[in-house]
Amino acid sequence: MSDTRYLDRGTPPERFARGWHCLGLATAFGDGRPHAVEAFGGKLVVWQDSKGEINVLDGYCRHMGGDLTQGTVKGDEIACPFHDWRWGGDGKCKAIPYARRVPLRARTQKYPVVVRNGQVLIWHDVEGSAPDLDILPPVLPGIGTDEYTDWTWEVLDVPTAHCREIIDNVVDMAHFFYIHFAFPTNFRNVFEGHMATQFMESTGRPDVDGAGYGDEGLMLKSEASYFGPSYMVNWIHVDYKGFETEVVLINCHVPTSDNSFKLQYGVCVKKPEGVDDATAEYIGKRYSETFKEGFEQDVAIWLNKAPVQNPLLCEEDGPVYQLRRWYEQFYVDRADVTAEMTDRFEFEVDTTKANEFWQEEVAENLRKKAEEESRPADEAAAASSSAMTNG
Amino acid sequence: MASFVPTSADTLEDQRLYTRARLTEVACLDCLATVGVKKNSEHHTSIQWTAEARAHCPELSRRANGRDSHYACPRMIASIEAAVREDRIPIGAEDGY
Ligand code: FES
Ligand SMILES: [Fe+2]
Repeated sequence: MSDTRYLDRGTPPERFARGWHCLGLATAFGDGRPHAVEAFGGKLVVWQDSKGEINVLDGYCRHMGGDLTQGTVKGDEIACPFHDWRWGGDGKCKAIPYARRVPLRARTQKYPVVVRNGQVLIWHDVEGSAPDLDILPPVLPGIGTDEYTDWTWEVLDVPTAHCREIIDNVVDMAHFFYIHFAFPTNFRNVFEGHMATQFMESTGRPDVDGAGYGDEGLMLKSEASYFGPSYMVNWIHVDYKGFETEVVLINCHVPTSDNSFKLQYGVCVKKPEGVDDATAEYIGKRYSETFKEGFEQDVAIWLNKAPVQNPLLCEEDGPVYQLRRWYEQFYVDRADVTAEMTDRFEFEVDTTKANEFWQEEVAENLRKKAEEESRPADEAAAASSSAMTNG
Repeated sequence: MASFVPTSADTLEDQRLYTRARLTEVACLDCLATVGVKKNSEHHTSIQWTAEARAHCPELSRRANGRDSHYACPRMIASIEAAVREDRIPIGAEDGY
């Protein structure tokens, strides 16, 4: 019997999570053309009809499998490019221009759609249940009005990781120091029902040059909640060198296979007083770029790490197992959701020791940096080239 | 229905250790709620509620499903602190759990 810790990679679920998934900003689909969205192991077709409704169907025609995303919007229907069958947003075939009648069974997979906060949300459930409107993400007050900037929207492809990797971030206190270059000074989690929340206060590290959250002047108070398996609202109060900003960040994803997903994020900023609209939009863009760096730091880890079903934790870590127990509810039939998965659970991470150690590490890094800077330039260059030959 | 499936029996034991081991029951001093509490250190607290306890807590019930439902119940926190003062909750972790 060996004492070596076994790394259990587990096997990913055969299904995709039940719940609301965001496909992007409603404005992106409003041009009267069909749009292709990769999701749930296949492809969806999305289009807006003449009434302004957004419709989402499975991307492949039930006739002979034509690719509806390459079709045309005719009237309110999507017409297949192969034999022109017309599919309505309700999933029914409305017409076959060359046929006497439409087969009664001509129904395809449709996804119920709700547009909320300017974003398109679709309901996915392998059991085919009616959309659960009670667990939609909340309406965000003020967003979509003059009070806030318009959404930015970006998509990052994560081709070789299960989307549970991004969920794990909810409880991962220590990675904020190592990956995102911040000191997480307060860290708390609450899971209940379909929601999982992370509270964090952090400041940037002074020993790294601003990447993502790593900016010494950056103090964040962040409240981030998943509403269901894939859609997170992150309310962030930012104090940047005394300049305070309210930022709303949406972090959501769509699984594309059992080992890939598309990460999407959008930012709105409450327009600061005395700042004109153009400047406010610029501030919004800058935040979007900051978060982009942050997400890219995560993605670089996910693309190279192993999946772990049995994480080994230390006392300073957050509640990974409880978070995964919560996440499990979206991957089992409704009838199999247990009380444990949804019961309220609270966890306050002890960040005191960690921050003591990190302060020491950062002080040491700053000391080394200052030492290097005070050395004459040619000596430093010689030292670094000899270091390279050793590495 | 298969979800994330461990490939080792030890993983199931880990799941049990991290989620269930060493929970001490703490009853609220103000209402009928009883929760499971674990303290790995002075500043760490883990609180496991049940539906029954949750229904008893007037503070949490008062809050709708809004953003404020995340905050801890101050009475339960006070009850846990009292239990700590009375040495009813062991403080300290066992190999990370
Ligand atoms: S395959 Fe779509 S109309 Fe024939
Ligand atoms: Fe991260």
